[in-house]
Order: sequence, then C-alpha cells, then structure tokens
Amino acid sequence: MEKIAVTGIGVVSPSGIGKRQFWANIKSGRSFIKKITRFDASKYPSHIAGQIDDLEKYSHISERLLKKIDAFSHMALVASELAMQDAGIDIRNEDPNLVGIFLGNAIGGWLYAETELRDLYLEGREGVSPYMASAWFPAAPQGQVSIYYGIKGFSKTVVSDRASSLMALGYARKVLYKNKLNMILAGGMEAPVTPYALLCCNTYGALSTHNEDPQAAYRPFDKQRSGFVIGEGAGIVVMESIERAKKRGANILGYIAGYGTSCDGIDRINPSSDGKELARAISMALNDAGINPQDIGYISLDGLAVDIWDNSEIKALELVFGENLKKIPVSCPKSMFGNLLGASGALDMIIAFLSMEHSLVPPILNLDTPVLNGINYVAKEAREYKAAKALVISRGRGGINSVLVVEKP
Amino acid sequence: MKDKVKEVLANLLKVKIEELKDDLPLSASIGVDSTEMVESVIALEKSFGVKLNIKEITKNSTINDIANNIQEKLAQ
Repeated sequence: MEKIAVTGIGVVSPSGIGKRQFWANIKSGRSFIKKITRFDASKYPSHIAGQIDDLEKYSHISERLLKKIDAFSHMALVASELAMQDAGIDIRNEDPNLVGIFLGNAIGGWLYAETELRDLYLEGREGVSPYMASAWFPAAPQGQVSIYYGIKGFSKTVVSDRASSLMALGYARKVLYKNKLNMILAGGMEAPVTPYALLCCNTYGALSTHNEDPQAAYRPFDKQRSGFVIGEGAGIVVMESIERAKKRGANILGYIAGYGTSCDGIDRINPSSDGKELARAISMALNDAGINPQDIGYISLDGLAVDIWDNSEIKALELVFGENLKKIPVSCPKSMFGNLLGASGALDMIIAFLSMEHSLVPPILNLDTPVLNGINYVAKEAREYKAAKALVISRGRGGINSVLVVEKP
Repeated sequence: MKDKVKEVLANLLKVKIEELKDDLPLSASIGVDSTEMVESVIALEKSFGVKLNIKEITKNSTINDIANNIQEKLAQ
C-alpha cells in the first residue's frame, strides 16, 4: 500500500508540550515519572505517574468549554492545535467534509465521570452535570475536536487497550490511501491519573510499586523490572497524501509506510508467550511497506516491563529478524514519561520520526541488567544513529498486536 | 431579579455578565446549547428555590422572559 505523509506533530506529554520541548527532554534521557500530586494516591499500591501540570499554559480553550469536557479531550484539543500549527494548516481553508479524525483511547475520561458519579450518589439525579454523558466516553475527544474545528469527514475512535492509537494511525492511513479524505488528524489521548482510573490500573496488577524511587520504577527489559508506570497525554499528527503535501509545499516529517495487526487469542489479559502472533503482525507491516527486515534501522518497543510481555516481544523480534536483530538499535522511550496506554503508540511513532530526523535514538531508562543479552538496546543515554526506516510496536491486553513501519522522508 | 438571573447564568456558563442581553434570546446572545439550558434551569431552581418548567425556559428565552417566569412561579 502507498505511503502516507505526516506533516505536523502535536504532542502533550509529561516530558513536554509541543514537539521541540518534548524532543529536548526525550533526547536528554530525563525521567518525568513522579509521585502523583493531583490527589492523595498514597494508599494505592502504585502511586507514581507521568503527570501533566501545565496544560492551561498551552491551551486556548475557553472556561465555558472546559467545564463540559474531560482532561483527555482537553489534551486532544491542544495536541490537534499544535499538530495543525506544525503542519501549517489553516482549517478554515480546508473542505470540512474531506477532513477526518482518527483517535485511539483505552479507558475514557474518568476524572469527569467519577466526580459526577460521586455527585449522583450524594446529591441524586440533579447533582449530575448534563455534560457527563458526553464527556466521559472514549469517542468524546473525537467529537470535541470535530466541533471545535468544524470537521465533518469520515472519522473513528479506536478502543483497543494500549494498542488503540497505533491502530487508529494504521486505519487513518488506509482511509487516506483510498482517497476518501484530504487530511486526517490521527493519534490518541489518555488521562489515567485520576482516583478511579488509577485504581483500575492497579487492579490490573502490572504496575510498578517501586514508589520510593519513581524515576527508577519503569525499567523495561531489565532484570529488576517490576511492571510499568502510567502516564497521561496526547499525540496527534496531521496525515495527508504525499501528492497533496508536496503540492501545498508542506514540510514532510515522515511517512507511514506499513501496518500490521493480529490477535494472540490465548488469554483475557496476557499475550501468548511464544510471540508468534506479534511476529506475524510485524511481518505483515513489513510486507505492507514492501521492505525486508534488514531495512529496519530502529525498533520502538512496547516494553511493558512485565516478564511475559517483554520476553514474548523479544521472541517475536527474533522470529522476524533472526541474527540481524543484534545490529538494530532498539529502545523504549516511554520509560521516561510513563505508558500512555491508548495513546502510547502515537507517542512512540512521534519519537520514531524525531529520532530519524535528528539521527539520534533516545534511550530506555533504568536498563542496568538486560534480561536477554544479544539485543542492541540503547540504554541510559541517546545514541547517534542514522535510521531511514523504523518499526513501532504497540500491544494491548489479551494479546492485541499493532505494528507500524515508518520512514524518513 | 434580572441581575441575579444574569449572575447565576454568567457564573454557571463561564460567560461575561455584559454578554447576557435583557431582550435577546440566549441562543442569540451567547449561543447557548440545549445541554447548557438543562444545566441553567437546574441552577436557577437552586438559586431561587422554585420549580421551573424546562419547556417554558428554553434557549429562545430572553433574560426578561426568564426573570418574569421566575417572578410568576414565586408569586404562585
């Protein structure tokens, strides 16, 4: 299938808002995992996260609208604005029927939902904001972005646990390839740093409880790993055909060249330990991009920092790349700012583009003793490396595998 | 009465008091939507201690209409 151009990046993350600030922090290998300060989380087994505290500074959203929406919609609105600014898009000049929105989200907007549900039980029916119904559900950000910008084209929200946003990006590419739209805002958003969402994430049992040293807690592929750490934010990009991007003189930041997805079909929570289905999704993405495994210059790992997930991920890579795997730098930059669940894949893809642009692979933090040797981990600090093509892996509970091949322009 | 209605609505909807015009429908002055009207009626009921009818206070109501409606309910 044809490549699709990415011409604008909008990022809202614990490591920074806007791609410049974000990249400066990512390449420096700085951790933004901290103790949660938004509410008293001290009694939760895991009470650390990548948290965003200064969104208002970057936001032009009116108070009137803010009171109607959850934080994850706010993040999506800011990320969309940043993406379109970066792409040099003035939405007023676009045909609204030919602009779409494809976003991924895993859990919905719980800060709004849980506050209103508390009011329901304390004050009764009349205590609940009438906006509750439209604020919490996973497709709410898509709706808010469409209303805010008057976007009216074919759009979708993908809910597929942590693989959601990478799937949304893959889906968006397919829609653009079929010439159904001129332009798509695609990516994902997640806001899990709330009392109830954090409780659910804790119940899942895969969060690190290494609370005493937050910056050292998320350690994918390390022998001392103890699970992942949640983070909040949004990553949204502008996607359009190469032809259109060139015609309007846009700065092409990269291409989405291939997409593959598969399901393990083994367990409600865990992936298959053999990595075969993930390997199939990787091969599917490579075939879709029309390239061979040896063409890949950087691999962005899902890296949940849970034994079965990390080990099966490496097994899948070994199945596809064989001996060649040792030559390819691999990393898991989300160890710096937390796992953004349904938005994690979008952030990983954005980092892959920035890495290729700057010929610098950002590091996996806290990788002191790798579980599996013979893998070309970029650990501790960024490494200079010129890659022209990268593989981005995103996986969801129950063994949902989603893989993108991205290329440097 | 009118001033208090404006104050309640301005605080609730996060708009400026001067945006609310006595003789303009709320839909024309501040572009109120139907969900905001649900919220507004509940807030006015709480502030004035009256039961209002959502069919009588709509987005086509002006501040004058709302104040008169509340006045009538209070008098009943």
